[in-house]
Order: sequence, then C-alpha cells, then structure tokens
Amino acid sequence: MEATDLVLRVNGVERPLSVEPRRTLVDALRFDLGLTGTKKSCDMGDCGACTVMVDGRAEYACLRLAVDCAGHDVTTIEGLEKDGRMHALQRAFVEADALQCGFCTPGQIMSLAALLQAKPSPSPAEILRAVSGNLCRCGAYRNIVRAGTLAAQGGARRG
Amino acid sequence: MRREPEHGVVGRPHPRIEAPDKVTGRARYSADVRLPGQLQARILRSPHPHARVVGVDTGAAAALPGVRAVISSADAPAIRWYEKSLLFDTTLRFAGDEVAAVAAETEEIAEDALRLIRVEYQPLPFNVSLEDGARGEADVYRRGDAARGLREAEVVVEQVYTTQTALHNALEPHGCVAAWEGERLVLYESTQGVFSVRDGVAEALGLAKDAVRVVTPHMGGGFGAKQIAWKHSVIAALLARRAGRPVQILLERDAENLAAGNRNATRQRVRLGARRDGTLTAVEARILMQVGAYSAGGESSAVAGIYSTLYRCANVHTEQVQVFTNTGPAIAFRAPGYAEGAFGLESAMDELARALRMDPIELRLRNYAERHQEKDKPYTSPESLRRCYERVKEASAAFERQHRGKRRRGIGFAAGDWIAGSGSPPGYAWVRLEDEQHATVITGAQDIGTGTRTALCQVAADELGLPLENVSIQIGDSGAGPYGPTSHGSTTLATLGPAVRAAAEAARENRHGEGARGPNPQGKAVRTCGAQCAQVEVDLETGEITVLRLAAAHDCGLVVNPLLVDSQVLGAVTQGVGFALFEERRVDRASGLVLNANLEEYKVPTAADAPEVRNVTLSMPDLEANVLGSKGIGEPPIIPAAPAIANAVFDAVGVRIRDLPLLREKLLEALGR
Amino acid sequence: MRPFSYSSARTLDEAIGLLGAGARPLAGGTDLLPLMKADLGHFDRLVDIKRLAALPRRIEENGEGVVLGALATLSELAASPTLQERYRALAQAADAAATPQLRNMATLGGNLLQRPRCWYFRHSRIPCWLKGGENCPARDGENREHALFGDAPCVAVHPSDPAAALLAFDADVRLVGRAGERTLALSDFLRLPSDRRRVETSLAEEELVSAVRLAPHPPETKSIYLKAMDRKVWAFALVSVAAVLRLAERRIAHARIVLGGVAPIPWRAHAAEAALVGQAAGAGVFERAAQAALEGARPLAGNGYKLPLARALVRRALGELADAA
Repeated sequence: MEATDLVLRVNGVERPLSVEPRRTLVDALRFDLGLTGTKKSCDMGDCGACTVMVDGRAEYACLRLAVDCAGHDVTTIEGLEKDGRMHALQRAFVEADALQCGFCTPGQIMSLAALLQAKPSPSPAEILRAVSGNLCRCGAYRNIVRAGTLAAQGGARRG
Repeated sequence: MRREPEHGVVGRPHPRIEAPDKVTGRARYSADVRLPGQLQARILRSPHPHARVVGVDTGAAAALPGVRAVISSADAPAIRWYEKSLLFDTTLRFAGDEVAAVAAETEEIAEDALRLIRVEYQPLPFNVSLEDGARGEADVYRRGDAARGLREAEVVVEQVYTTQTALHNALEPHGCVAAWEGERLVLYESTQGVFSVRDGVAEALGLAKDAVRVVTPHMGGGFGAKQIAWKHSVIAALLARRAGRPVQILLERDAENLAAGNRNATRQRVRLGARRDGTLTAVEARILMQVGAYSAGGESSAVAGIYSTLYRCANVHTEQVQVFTNTGPAIAFRAPGYAEGAFGLESAMDELARALRMDPIELRLRNYAERHQEKDKPYTSPESLRRCYERVKEASAAFERQHRGKRRRGIGFAAGDWIAGSGSPPGYAWVRLEDEQHATVITGAQDIGTGTRTALCQVAADELGLPLENVSIQIGDSGAGPYGPTSHGSTTLATLGPAVRAAAEAARENRHGEGARGPNPQGKAVRTCGAQCAQVEVDLETGEITVLRLAAAHDCGLVVNPLLVDSQVLGAVTQGVGFALFEERRVDRASGLVLNANLEEYKVPTAADAPEVRNVTLSMPDLEANVLGSKGIGEPPIIPAAPAIANAVFDAVGVRIRDLPLLREKLLEALGR
Repeated sequence: MRPFSYSSARTLDEAIGLLGAGARPLAGGTDLLPLMKADLGHFDRLVDIKRLAALPRRIEENGEGVVLGALATLSELAASPTLQERYRALAQAADAAATPQLRNMATLGGNLLQRPRCWYFRHSRIPCWLKGGENCPARDGENREHALFGDAPCVAVHPSDPAAALLAFDADVRLVGRAGERTLALSDFLRLPSDRRRVETSLAEEELVSAVRLAPHPPETKSIYLKAMDRKVWAFALVSVAAVLRLAERRIAHARIVLGGVAPIPWRAHAAEAALVGQAAGAGVFERAAQAALEGARPLAGNGYKLPLARALVRRALGELADAA
C-alpha cells in the first residue's frame, strides 16, 4: 500500500512523515519520529502503556492510526518537561517511588497529566480512576495514586 | 561479622536514582534501541498444540519487497534447545512453538511476510491438562516417618489444593536487538541475567563467551520469565547475520503468553497430622506440577520446598512429579513453587487451626522452626519469623470482622519462607574513585526494576562516607563490568551488596577497588521469611471478593532502602492478589489452544484491585548471613499473599475454596447459591 | 494489520459512497483496529467519519426526548448532566465500560456495533460459527463468560454496557444509508445472529448509525446500571443489569429490566417487568422479579453462577431504585 504524507503535531512541533495508513500512532511515534518514551506493550488497547494525549485527552496510541491524527495535537511523555524542568507529576513519581521497572510509567503519567489538565484538584478516587486504564505489572499502584495526589497538591499550592 | 554502617546513607528512603530517566521517557529499554539499518523481525508460531512440520516454503516471503532474511527448519542450523529439541524443530510441541522467522524493513512487512510462508503441518495427538499429561519421575524427600506420624496424630487434615497456570505478563515483552560487530555479537536484551543470556547464546551459536556482549540498561519487568536465553535471541542473531544488519525482535503479547514461560499449575494432596495441643506429627504433600512441553531451565519450581522447612516436624514426606503437556514451557515466576506450595500448606494449616480451635498464629508458634531441617543447620536469624508473627499481629489488630449482613468481612493469616534470598558467590563489583568526592560503582549485572542501582550506590556511599549524589553506577553490560548474578531468587543485593562494600573499602586505599562476594556461613542456614494478614470483604450474593487491607511483615535482613523495600512488598502483594482472585490461563481442551493469551481476558490487577498494604517489614541486619547483613525481599512477599486471602475468605463466609483463583462461580457454588 | 487505504470523508454522501463491500467506517476504532490486528476482519478501505458535520456529535434535548449523536464518546455520555439526571443508568453504563482512554476514544455508534469478546470468536485460529464456521466451540468448551439465553447458534454475549441501558430506555436508532434515513427501535436494531446473518445488528453494509434517541419520560422515573466483573474495573460484564422504574403512589407504574452478559444481545426480562408492574414496591415483589428475570435460562457447563449473580443484581437494582424513589 502506498505511503501517505502527513504532518503530525507532536509536543507542539509540526512533524512531517510518510507512512502507510496502517501505521499506528504508537509505531509512528516510536519508529518514525524517534519518540520512544511512549511504550508499546499489548498493542490491543488492553494495557495503557502507549497512553498519550490527543487534544488533551488520554488515548491509547496503539488504537489510533497515525493518518487519523493529522490535525490533532499529540502530547507524549517527552512533551511534559518545560524549560528543562520536570512536570509536577514527574517529580512526584520520583518522590513517591511510583514506579519499578518503569515501562508503564510514561503511560501512567500521561493519564494523570490529562486528568490534572482537566481538573487541577482531583480527589484520590478520581486519581485512581484516571489510571484505571493503565496496568502496572510491578504493582506500584498505591504509590502511583500517592504521586498523583502529591502532584495535585503541589499544583494547587502553586495555583 | 562486620560493623554497622556508619555514614547514614544505608537505611534511608532515597528515591531510586534512575527514576528521572524513567519518568521522562529517556530510559532506554531493549524495545527502544534504534541502530543504523536496524530491521524488525517476527516469528511464525505453531497453530497446533502438537504437530510435525512436513514442509515449509518460505519462497514467497523471501521475495516480498522489504524482506531481508528468512529462517525456518528448512535452512536453520541444528541448534539444540530444551534438551530434547532444536531451535527450529520439525516436531512442534505446543501452540506457539517457533516455526520460522522473518526480518524486514518494518514490523508490518515482516508480518505480511509471515502470512506468505506456507507450512504443511501433520497434527499429532495432544494433551493440555495437568490430569492427562505425561508424568516424569517423582522427586521424593523423606524425613522421619510420615505414615507413623499420621497414625499417631489426634487430628488429621487431608485435602487437595490446586493452583492455576499464571502468566507473567511483564509489560515489556521479551525482546532484543542483535547486532554483529565482525565475529562478535552485541545483544540489547530485556533480561534479568546478562551473563546467563550471554552464556546461553554463545553456546547456541558456538561462540566463545566473550564474543557475546549483552546489554540491559533498563528492562520492563521479568518476574522470573527473563532469566534464561530464549530462542528469540538466537533467532535474532541468525537473522542479523543473514541480513548483514542489526535485527530487533519483540515478542507480541500473545507470543509472550504462549512461549515465554508461565507459573506451573499444581495439584497438591496434603495431609497434616497434629496432636490436640497443635504439635505437628506429620506433613505429607504429593504434588503434580504442569511444566508444559519442555523444561525451559532457570530456577526450578520447588513446590514441595515449603512443606519441609516452614514448620518444625520430625516426619515429613513430600514428592513432586513433573507433568508434561502440549502447552508453553513453565519457568520461574516470582517465588516459583513457594507461592503455589504456600497456598496448599497455609490453607491446610488454617484448616488445622480451625479443627483444633486454635489461634492460627498460636498454631504456627507451637511448630516454630529454629533450624533448617533439611540441611540440619540452625538459621542465622532464628528469631526473625517470630518477630514477623508479632509485628503482623500488631499491624492487623484493627482489621475488623463482619459476620452479619450481605457483605461479610474476614481476616486470614499465612506465613512463608523462601528457599533463596541469601545471595551467594560468585558476584563481583568494582569501585573507582574519580576524585576525593566522587566514586563509580561498576558491575556487569542488571537492575530489573527492583532498585539495584540505588541500593548498590547507597552501600558504596555509606562505605566511602560520600553523599549518595556523588556515587554513580555502571550496570547491565556483560562486556563492561565484572560478573554478577542473574536477578532471580531475590539474590541481587545480598550477593552484590557485600561485593560493593568490599570494593569500596579497597578503593579507599587504591582509588580502584575490586570486591568479591564472600561465602555463605558453613554451619548455619540463611532464611528469608515473613507473615501476612489479609482483610477481605465478600459479597454473599454476588460472590465478589475485595481485598481491603493486608499487613505484611518480612525478614530481609538489613533494609538498605525502605522506600524500595516498601515497593517490593506492595508489588508482590498486588501480584498475589491477582494470583488469588482472577489470574488464570485458559486452554481449550478440544483445540489445545490458549484462549486468553492477551491482557484483556488474562486479567491482572488494576489500580482498583490493589489493597491498602501495611508493610511492617523488619530491619534486622543478618550479619551472620553476609557482611552487609541484607537479604532478598523481591519474592518472599508474594508467598503468603494468596493463602492469607483465601483464609480470610473462609473467615468471612465459612466456605473454603481449595482451588485458585477464587472466582465467583466457585464461591457462589460453595455458598449454595 | 494487512494493508488498507484510508479516506477521510468530507460529506455524508461521500462517506456512504465509499462504504460497501470491503470498506468500513472508522470512528473511535477501539473495536475495528483490534479485529483487524487479530486478522478477524480484513477491509480494503477505512473511511474516517469523525469529521462529518452531518453526523451529530452532541447530546441534545428537544421535544422528542434526548438525541445522542453517534459520534458522542462514552466519556461524553458519562459526563452528560442531562443523562446523569434523567437517564442515569446510561451515564453509569457508559462510565462502567472499559477505561478512561477507551471511553475518550470509543463512540456511541461504534459501541452499538462492536463484536463480541468471546475468546473463541476473538481467536484467529479458531473457526467458530459466528465467523462462518460449522459450530460454536464455546457451547461445550470454556464457557464461564457465555450466554444463558438466546437459543442462537452462538453463545457469545453482547459486550456493550450502554446498549443494555439504552434498551431499558426504549431507545430508537437512526440510520443513514444510500436509501436515505430510517429509524429502528433498538430492540429491532439489535438482533440475534442467525444462519442468514451472523452478526448482532440489522445494519446494512452501506449504512451508518447517525444517532440514538431516548424518549422523554416523566421526571420521577429512576434508573440504575449495575455490573459484575472479574476485577474491580476494566472488564466486560459477567452479568449486568439496567433497571428503569417509575412508581406512582408506591405502586410500580413502569418497569424495564435488561440483563447484560447473558445473551448475544442485551436481554430484556419481560417476565420480570410483568412481575413488577402494578405491584407495590417491596422486597417480596423484587425477589419475584429477580426469579422471573432468569426464567427460561439455559446455563452451560461453566456459567451456572450467572443465575444467582443476575438475580442478586436485579434485586439490588430494584431495591436501590425503590429507596431512591
């Protein structure tokens, strides 16, 4: 099948690429754009490792076609740092030891980043729900929720 | 014996030093490696549980534009694998067995090419269940006379307990990039053992060990399944050689669940005999364990182990029999054998306590073992399990029961010990002083996500009197550091920690120090152990089980970093919840195919399933065990989790499920609904 | 996935013109892509319909009730104040489905059209009846997740949470195709698969779901959706129940009980409704309704537990609605 030319807007930058229509967003990010922070684990929408933000909403990049994302804003884990400073969530994940092997971590953080963008002061229940579509086989869930709470509190303090 | 650490870096809850790389997406895993010219490979797998390959035609696949190399039994070198088989064998013994492989410019092209491979299969008869499989010889252990012990018993508990096949499902699948540099091979492998993969791949390819270099900066979970060299690494190397380009191979999720290991299913017929005062007179366990199509190697699954050591008993008889079936090979999965054995033993102990109307902790204290009875040696920390019992009792004192209404609450107790966790030689580390204020730790071994990097740096910093930030580490490269062990058996810190300490001490003298792990004590046995108490809620009408809280007390010797230990306990308990409640591989008996080789129908715990964990793990330096005083913690906390939960379910609703996982259908049936 | 071409349709006519044999509309893609990845369906062309101005997306209330655009996502349904207040079971069902990410992606139209999760159907190596094979391997196989009702050659269960709630609200489905628009009751749109049509809906090949309409109902109508899963979240229902109840002076004036997870389509429990209407609300009546809801169930070897489970959910749903009334 012919490759299609398209432009993806990833982390605020226009990225031209040429891919087959069957190229998924996660593969386009990882193979065509070199953004390997987004992980691929089940490739069937069953694990959440590939979570990115599309127009500010958390979505599974393995179930989006790259061609289908033209014209949308895609944010990946690489886009969270601002001016070399980690996002409050990233700092909180470090502090709360909300990770072990780290493979699910970018997806967990992107789910929470979408939550905090929509709702800066979520409850612990909302934080837990926001990561309920992200598996962590190492079982760091309790610390992930704690990190979300820390980040939200930090955000609230700054706000 | 060694002095206590002096500088206060050991024992502090320092965040793991690689965490900033992991939270920013910078940490590079095998799947993230991108070498110039790198190809992507896919493996064609058997669609039959047992079949002979009559013919393979890869011509059309090889001719597809973008395909750079193809391999199958038709043209692969005859490399021995799984003892009785070949890398690409013409007899396929489980659905998922490797048939052929393709390397291409993209994953999509490789997948297209697999569809073009024509294979003629001759299906053969198969069996996929523990009951029907071919049985190997019994591995028997006897101490005293269990038959007499049972005759002399005043109370006997006799039951059959079964555990399911569980799938590791590390989020990073098995995979590697194979790149040849002349006659030398570099493998960027997702593994728990860079040296074990090096040795296995070198042997398969007929290379010297030092002609293979295995690199693992980060890896996305293994839980036991990534401790050996698997076929994909050798396949990647062969394809890379044929193509003259680096080859990346990443297992798809279904392949991961078919062909890269599982926790063996077991059937345990248990008899416990006791006197009225609770003293055990006999422990007997006859165990079947489903190892699948092959013995894959790595740690053995010692299901019988816990029966002979956890309690003091003069009369013990265990036998375990491997059962071969046309299913994927089993391999170690976090506390292999002990997690399964503990479900049988600790459920039976709970039944015994009920029969005797004894407090479950009282019963365990009555049969407290201060010696390793198989080795006939005293433990280096004979009192630690007693302390665990005490602490878990305190920590669970507020766990209330509710025996009225539709939603019942109960509490359950279980203990466990673990065959490993002591660490042992060989294990080496170097420490280099960069200047007066900075040092680098170097070891070949890997950090599998447990925090090895951080803990080893803490040990070195403490010894050198430096702040932790001034110590860095090079790890996970068999070509760049001295030998370190495979990260299995909860041994990495207990093996390498003392080596780092020795190296740091030597470095203080000479700027460069080399340290070796010394021997374990001769006259004593090292034990890791623990106890847990679970509180569950059971909905009498819907059969829904909720694990509310779980208190865990473990002995891992000196705690180098409480934050990391806490994470290990949390993680093991969470996996234990999945093992107890819903994880189960399902195989269709008619077709012999696995029905849930995916993360949708193979259900692992989510954030909403994880209970509140009260970790009250001891920090009790075991200086007779090694000069650091630390022992392992990665595996032990999964051991008592499932029986503690099952015992709590019994406490809540008065029915006992002796068959994991505790699915609703079993509970509702037992409740007579 | 096998190769395919991709078109982004600008107008409805263009989209419909591009559909037909070998083509599929692409909206959320959360079921279509997994089917294609598992090689269970191959399509030469995907037609992106997400940008079609002609397909309503919003949730709008008008004189005819509430119109839900087919492109509304499950997140939007779950968060809709209109649904939360007036059609609570639907908001709850949308919220109980899948995961936050999938709810952000999945559309209502796609949700109604998704294929079953039966592990035999989803296994690319198993030729089950629903995929055109000879027989249903689940009937005598691993069937703990399978159907109690339906008497169809397939014992898969319908995967949608919202569909059960929509059926309980007597929803209509609006379809657009080459021949123009038509409206079907959801109960006619969802169809047991048959030898003639091995699919769970009556959608034609060149048709799209454009909207779903919920009839207006008196404000005192209460509803609830309960779902039992193997884990706390992120699983398809073992059994679910959508219940709608309206009381008039303690007597039940209107009742709908729809069970999910028990049949190839959401299963309306007419006998349970009959046991309720005209009766005074109370535990005894609810128990009779729960028993009636499972009348005629034909459990398979592995799914008998669904009977007590479904009865418990029906009792509980009715109890909560009566308490809320």
